[in-house]
Amino acid sequence: MTSELTLGIETSCDETAASVVTSENVVLSSVVSSQVDLHARYGGVVPEVASRAHVGLVNPVIAQALVEAGVEPKDIDLVAATKGPGLIGSLLVGVSAAKALSLVWGIPYIGVNHLEAHLYSCFLEEPDLELPLVVLLVSGGHTILVSMEDHLQYSILGQTLDDAVGEAYDKVARYLGLGYPGGPAIDQLAVHGKNTIEFPRPIINDGFDFSFSGLKTAVINYVRQNPETPTEDVAASFQEAVVEVLTTKARKALVNTGAKGLCIGGGVAANSRLREAVFDICLEDGLHSFVPSRAYCTDNAAMVASTGWRRFLEDGPDSLDSGADPNLKLHG
Amino acid sequence: MGHSVMIILGIESATSQVGCAIGGHEGVLASVHSSRGRRHAENLAPQIEFVRAQARINLSEISVVAVDVGPGLYTGLRVGVATAVSIAFGLGIPMIGVSSLDLLAYPVRHCSKLIVPAIDARRGEIFHANYRQVPGGVQRISEPAVSTPDDLAADLLAHGNEALLVGDGAVRYADMFANLRGVEAAEPSVAYPSAASIVQLAHAKALREEFVSPSELEPVYLRKPDAAEIEQQKRKIL
Ligand SMILES: [Zn+2]
Repeated sequence: MTSELTLGIETSCDETAASVVTSENVVLSSVVSSQVDLHARYGGVVPEVASRAHVGLVNPVIAQALVEAGVEPKDIDLVAATKGPGLIGSLLVGVSAAKALSLVWGIPYIGVNHLEAHLYSCFLEEPDLELPLVVLLVSGGHTILVSMEDHLQYSILGQTLDDAVGEAYDKVARYLGLGYPGGPAIDQLAVHGKNTIEFPRPIINDGFDFSFSGLKTAVINYVRQNPETPTEDVAASFQEAVVEVLTTKARKALVNTGAKGLCIGGGVAANSRLREAVFDICLEDGLHSFVPSRAYCTDNAAMVASTGWRRFLEDGPDSLDSGADPNLKLHG
Repeated sequence: MGHSVMIILGIESATSQVGCAIGGHEGVLASVHSSRGRRHAENLAPQIEFVRAQARINLSEISVVAVDVGPGLYTGLRVGVATAVSIAFGLGIPMIGVSSLDLLAYPVRHCSKLIVPAIDARRGEIFHANYRQVPGGVQRISEPAVSTPDDLAADLLAHGNEALLVGDGAVRYADMFANLRGVEAAEPSVAYPSAASIVQLAHAKALREEFVSPSELEPVYLRKPDAAEIEQQKRKIL
């Protein structure tokens, strides 16, 4: 059996990534060059800084992905790049590079929806996961609860009405003086704290949409009024509120849809408390839980390559005059 | 590299236009430009395919990729550079970077006045540099800079020589330069760098073996990443 190879390229935000994945969903290489240090001094991702960095990094990262996979350019059958959503200047670097390689290597190009790629990140390690599934996609830009009925067929059950969960983490971390990125900082601190403060759980019993803006404000007001409270307790209590909201809604979605299991994806899926809680609720309910390795939760190109191949089989290639869409939505 | 087979692909996308050309010792074999709707990322790859077909060249025959490295509009510039670098990387061939200001000075090289390419840098500023005629072409005699049209006008007055302004910056701020003594604006038809000029300038550089590897090619921004954007990011606490 001959296996087809997809080169995936991801430049939607602050990671420059490339990966080679086989048509059987085997990841031969997954290279991620993070710009986190570059942006940390600004307290967040600065789009122009990110775009400039992608230009210099994208080809070295692709070269590294080919070397690590042990393949030659002539072995690649499809090139896939994230076409949105994301920062437009950054997306265009990856899309331009991918289309150029498609031209000179004489292979098809496909643009990939970054959110769909996150949905598929769990299949990188368990290609045979049984559908239907509920997928909770949580990151710095998105909080989406999805019912995945079949491959490439899904519906959005709910999403955030204001801040994305990762955004709430970043803002709370910044207020607590923990620096950027906020997610890992709060996660590490929370381990040493106790869940002593009863923060609000916004709209926890009300549908599948989320709201984190009020929780973030409640945390900041609390710290203002109680400056003596240990920061680790604030972190632990905030994290507990977030995780309870996320898992309560995910659990309800599992019941409503009759799904066989729950997957999580996106940068916040790397959070240790959320990973533990997802495992626990599924164990209690006798359902399958799947929590990808941290490297496949945060932005990577393996998920882009794998999703690109799936979409290519379904829809065929994209035309070379296609561009990028910073506001691309998720639709099954 | 055998001179008889040198084929150059030139890419230009650092202004509101996007274009590419293919040529070599025989001159420019095919070129195309589009200027509508700032669709650099959408248009460039199909343009390359088009000029390749028109010139009856296989992409695998290309021996050098030349690209406008700016200064210019950042998003378009990056589309051109990312495309050019990936083509060079994908084919394993060298590159030649050409300044957008050199490209604007080149078509007016027969003018004996001070030649001042002026590219619209948005935000009320212009990218510019001074050039003078030399045998066989032009020579840059000042560092590329970014200034307000006012400051550039004051510079030109202080310089005292007769000058020819060329570029979309000269067109956009024509009113500010119109009454300066001895300062003339070039035809709007040469207001944008052309991909054909890239191929011609790169050909001369290729004969001098002024190649860079894809990893060495750097866009010229002339401005630090937007300070306002960074400040906004710092303040975005609540
Ligand atoms: Zn992401």
